[in-house]
Amino acid sequence: MTEPKLSIVDLTKRYAADLDPAVDRLNMEVEEGHLVALLGPSGCGKTTTLRMVAGLMDPTAGSIVVDGKEITHTPVNKRGMGMVFQSYALFPHMNVEQNVAFGLEMRQVTKAEQKARVAAALDMVQLGHLGKRQTKELSGGQQQRIALARALVVEPTLLLLDEPLSNLDAKLRETMRTEIRAIQQRTRATTLFVTHDQDEALDMADRIAVMNGGLIEQFGSPTEVYERPRTHFVANFIGQANFLAARVGAETGRANLAGESHYKVEVDGLGQFGAIGSTGLSGSSHELVIRPHRLNVSLHPGAAQAPLAGTIERVSYTGDALAVAVRIGDQQLHAQMLTSSGDLPRIGDAAYLSWAADDAYLLPAAAQPVRLAA
Amino acid sequence: MTVLEAPAAPERPSAQDEGQLERATERRNRRTYLALLLPGLLGLLVSFVFPLAYMVRMSFNQGAPDGVIVETFTLDTYIQPLTDPYYWRVTLDTFQMGVTVGILCVIVSYPVALFLARSTSKWRGLLVAIAIAPLLTSAVVRTYGWMVILGTNGLINSSLGGLGLIDTPLKLTNNMTGVTIGLVEIFMPYAILAMISGFGRLSPQLEEAAGSLGASKFKVFTRVTLPLCLPGLLTAFLLVFVLSISTFITPRLLGGGSVQVLATEIYDQTTGLLNWPFAAALSVILLVLFGLIIAVYQRLTKKIGG
Amino acid sequence: MRATIKGKMAAVAALSAAVLVLSGCGGGSEAAGSGGSATSGEVNLIAYSGVWQDQYTAAVIEPFQAKYPDIKINYASKRSSAEMLSALQGQKNNPATDVAIMDNSVSTTGNKQGLFEKVDEESVPNLANVPEKFRDKEAYGPVAMLDAVGLVYDTATFPEAPDSWKVLWDPAYAGKINVNAPPSLLGLSLTAITSKMEGEDYTQGIDSAVTRLKEMAPGVQTFAPNPDEYQNVITGQTVLGLGQNARGQFYSDQSNKKMGVTFPKEGTVYQINTINLVKDAPHSEAAKTFVDYALSAEAQTAFAKALFYAPSVTNAELPADVKDRVVPTDGSLNIVPLDVEFLSSARDKWTDTWKRQIITN
Ligand SMILES: Nc1ncnc2c1ncn2[C@@H]1O[C@H](COP(=O)(O)OP(=O)(O)OP(=O)(O)O)[C@@H](O)[C@H]1O
Ligand SMILES: [Mg+2]
Repeated sequence: MTEPKLSIVDLTKRYAADLDPAVDRLNMEVEEGHLVALLGPSGCGKTTTLRMVAGLMDPTAGSIVVDGKEITHTPVNKRGMGMVFQSYALFPHMNVEQNVAFGLEMRQVTKAEQKARVAAALDMVQLGHLGKRQTKELSGGQQQRIALARALVVEPTLLLLDEPLSNLDAKLRETMRTEIRAIQQRTRATTLFVTHDQDEALDMADRIAVMNGGLIEQFGSPTEVYERPRTHFVANFIGQANFLAARVGAETGRANLAGESHYKVEVDGLGQFGAIGSTGLSGSSHELVIRPHRLNVSLHPGAAQAPLAGTIERVSYTGDALAVAVRIGDQQLHAQMLTSSGDLPRIGDAAYLSWAADDAYLLPAAAQPVRLAA
Repeated sequence: MTVLEAPAAPERPSAQDEGQLERATERRNRRTYLALLLPGLLGLLVSFVFPLAYMVRMSFNQGAPDGVIVETFTLDTYIQPLTDPYYWRVTLDTFQMGVTVGILCVIVSYPVALFLARSTSKWRGLLVAIAIAPLLTSAVVRTYGWMVILGTNGLINSSLGGLGLIDTPLKLTNNMTGVTIGLVEIFMPYAILAMISGFGRLSPQLEEAAGSLGASKFKVFTRVTLPLCLPGLLTAFLLVFVLSISTFITPRLLGGGSVQVLATEIYDQTTGLLNWPFAAALSVILLVLFGLIIAVYQRLTKKIGG
Repeated sequence: MRATIKGKMAAVAALSAAVLVLSGCGGGSEAAGSGGSATSGEVNLIAYSGVWQDQYTAAVIEPFQAKYPDIKINYASKRSSAEMLSALQGQKNNPATDVAIMDNSVSTTGNKQGLFEKVDEESVPNLANVPEKFRDKEAYGPVAMLDAVGLVYDTATFPEAPDSWKVLWDPAYAGKINVNAPPSLLGLSLTAITSKMEGEDYTQGIDSAVTRLKEMAPGVQTFAPNPDEYQNVITGQTVLGLGQNARGQFYSDQSNKKMGVTFPKEGTVYQINTINLVKDAPHSEAAKTFVDYALSAEAQTAFAKALFYAPSVTNAELPADVKDRVVPTDGSLNIVPLDVEFLSSARDKWTDTWKRQIITN
C-alpha cells in the first residue's frame, strides 16, 4: 500500500485540565480517495476530531500528517481543506456564485478560470441555474449542495463534512446521501464524514471509525464493523443485536480463510449451540452476538431442527417487517419476521427460534456483564 | 392487534369553515389589540403628537422682540434662516458634527461591540453591563468630566506639559474638538448596544468557513466579518448621528459658546431671546434633517440586506 | 399558543398604561389659589437661581416669614430674567405667580406686555423710601436692588486690580479670558463699553466696537464659561473675565480673595433688578406685603450684606466695609448708559453680530 493520505497519530484534545479528554490518543490512517465516516453517539468527540484536522482547533497533543507532511500547527487557511458545516455556513451577504467562488478568489485564481470552475462545480451539484440567487432564497437541500460545491471547487486535499445531512428531512437525507457519495466518488476526494447515523455510515463510507468516549473502538469497512464487531459497544451501536453470555467450549473446526473457528458454546438457560469467532477463545467466557434478522422465528415446532421454544412478549409492526421479542427462560431475544408469513403472531403465542452457527458471533474481547439490546 | 387498526378519523370542520373561523378569530384578536393599544396611543398623542403639532403651528407665527408672539400665518420664520448663509453654515456644521461623531463613535465602539458580541465567556453579561454602565450617569456629569480632562489646566494638558511635550496648552475644549471628543464618548454605550443587537448574522461558523476556504485573518475580517456587521454599524451610526445633532448640553458646555449648532441656536432663541416662532422653525428644519437621514438609512439597509 | 397571546396582550396593556401615566404627569395643573389676605396665605415668587436664591432666602425671605408666619413664600427659580419672562408669558391668561424680581430691561418689556400691576404707596408704604430715579415712570415695579458689570480677575496674576478694560486685549492674557457673549447682559454691556471707548455712539452703530471685539475674540477661551464666570477664574482656567460686581464680591470672599472684581475707569453698565407685582396675581394682598418688606431698610441692608447688591431705598444704612463693595449709586461711578428701550431692540441684533462676526473659530 502507498502512504496514507491522512494519518492521525495519538491525537488528543482536552478542553480543560480538569475534564476528561474529549479526544483521547486517537490513531487513524485514511487511504487516498476513501470516504471515512466518524460514527458515534453524541459527545463522543467526532466534531472535535474533525475540527482539529481542519485546523479550527489546536490539539492538546499528537499530530496530523497529510501527504507525508506534518500539518498539526499549520493555520486553517493554509491547509487547503474543504469543510462543509452542519449549518452550511453559506455567506449570507453573497449570492450563490460568489459563495462558490470565494475559495478560488482567496487562491487568486483568474476571473475567467473562477467563472468556469464555479459553473462546473454548480453543474456537478445540479444547481447551475441558481448562480444568481441569494442564499436565503434556497431550500435546505439546495444550500447543502451549494456548501458542498463551495468546498469541492477548490479541489481540497481533504473534504471534511460535519453532519452535513442532519438538518434535512428523512427523504431528502437519503437522496443527498447518494448524491454526496456519487460526487465524492467522481471527484475522488478523500473525505472525512461525521455522523451519528449508522445507516448513513454503512451506506456511504469506505471505512467507518466507530468512536466512543473520545476513543476509536473499531476502524474498518462497513461489513467488518457490522459482521465482526470488536466490542460490545460497536455491536450494540451498529444495527441491533442480541447479546448472550456464553462459555466457550471446544473448537470444532476452522471456519474460513480469515482464521476464524467454529466453537461449541453453552448459554445458561438455553443450552448448547454452535458459534463462530476468532481462534483461541476456548475455555473462557465471551459474549455471543446474534443479529435479530438472523434469528429464524417459527410459530410451529418442527420447522427447524432443535429449535428453542419460547413465548412472544412484544410485537411491533413497521410495514415491511415485524419485530418480535421472544421470552425463553430469563432471556429475552429480539427477532424479525416477514409480514407475508401467513398467520400474524400475537402476544402470548408460542414461538420457536433457531439460527445458523455462522450467525452467532463471539466477541473477541472478554465478556462484559450482559446487556440486552434495546 | 391494535397496532394494525387505523385510528378513527376525528371529525374535522371542512377547510372552508376552518378558514372562516380563522379569519373571524383574527379580526377579534385585532380588535382586542387595538383596544389594548388605545391608552398607549392616547399617551403618545398627548405627549408627542400634540406638542409636535403645537411646535409646527408656532413656527408659522411671527416673533417680535422681547418674547412677544404675533399670532399669524407667515413663512418668514422659514425664509429668514433659509436665505441666511449663517443658518446654512450652522445647519452644515450641525450635520458635519453628526457625521464626524457618528463615524468616530462607530470606529471606537466597534472593537468593543465585536468582542462582546462574540464572547462566550460566562462574564459576558457583566461585561455588557460594564460597557453600558456610563448610561447610569447623566450626560451633564460626563460632560463636566470631560471639561476637567480637556481644559487648559486639565489632565491631558497638564500631563503633556509636565512631560515637557508642549509649551502652550492644546486647545481641546471650548471648540468643536472638545464637543466631538465628549459626544463620541458619551454616545459610545448607545453605539455598542445598537451594534450588539445588529450583529445577528455574524456567526463564528461563517468566519471558520471563510478560513477553511483559504482566507487569512485579515481577509476573513474584510470579506466576512465586516460586511456582516454593516447593518449593526449603520444602525449605530444613525443612532449616534441623530443623538448628536439633537443634543444641546455637550455642545453648549464643551463648546464654550464658540460652537454653534442647531440645538444651541434653538436654545438661544428660546431662553435667551424668547423668539419661540423662530426657534420652532429651526426645530422643524432639524426634524426634516432627521427625516432625510432616516430615509437614506432605510435605502442603505435595504441595499445591504440588513 | 393561547397562553402566549394572552401574555403578549398583558404586556401591551401594561406598556400602554405606563405610557399614559408618564404622559399624564406632564399636564399637572395648578389649582387656583384661595386669594388669602394681606397677612396670610402664600406668595409665589419667581426670581434668580443659585447663590442669589440662597442669599435672598437667608437675608430676606426667612426674616419675612418669621415676621409673617402665616404667609408662605414659594420660590420658583429661573436662571435668567428672560426665562422668567417666558414663564410669565405662558401664564398670562391664568397667572400662578405673584411677585417677580428680574432685570429691569426685561421687566420693562413685561410692563409693556401688561404682565404687571402698578405699585402705589398706599398698599406698599415703603415705596416712599425709593427715590424718584429708582421708580418706574408709569408706577410699575420699582427698583429693588442695583449692581453693575465688573472686571473679574485672578489676584495672583494681578496683585493690583486692572484699571482698564483694555487689559482684555493684552496679548499676555490671550487664551485666559472668559467673556459671556450676548444675549448675556455681560456681553451686551461689553459691546456698549467698547463702543464708547472707541468714541462711537452705539445707539447709531457699533462697527468700530465690532472691529475691536474681533481683535479680542481669538484670545477668549470661552464665550460661555462653565460652571460660571467666577469659578473659571477661581479654578485658574482663566485669569480675566466679565462678571457682576455683587456675585464677584461674594465669590471673592468665598475663594479667600483668589479672585477679585473691579470697575475699570472707562465706565460700566448698571444691572438693575426691579420687584414686580404680577397682574391678576392669585395672592395679590399677601404679595403686596412681601414687596413692602422687600423694600424695607431691614431687608435691603440684609441683602446688601449678604450679596453686595446696592439698596434702592434711601433709609438703608450700610456698614462701611459693605458700602465700599456695593456699586455706588450716588453718581460717583462712571456709568455707560444702556437704555432699556434701546436694549430691547439691540439685543437680537447684537447677539447676531457676535455670532456671525465676533465669535469665529
Ligand atoms: N468548547 C468546549 N469546551 C468544553 N468541552 C467541550 C467543548 N466542545 C465540546 N466539548 C466536550 O467534548 C466532548 C466531545 O464533543 P464533540 O463536539 O466533539 O462531540 P460530537 O461527537 O461531535 O457530538 P455530537 O454528535 O453531539 O455533535 C463532549 O463531551 C463535549 O461536551
Ligand atoms: Mg458534533
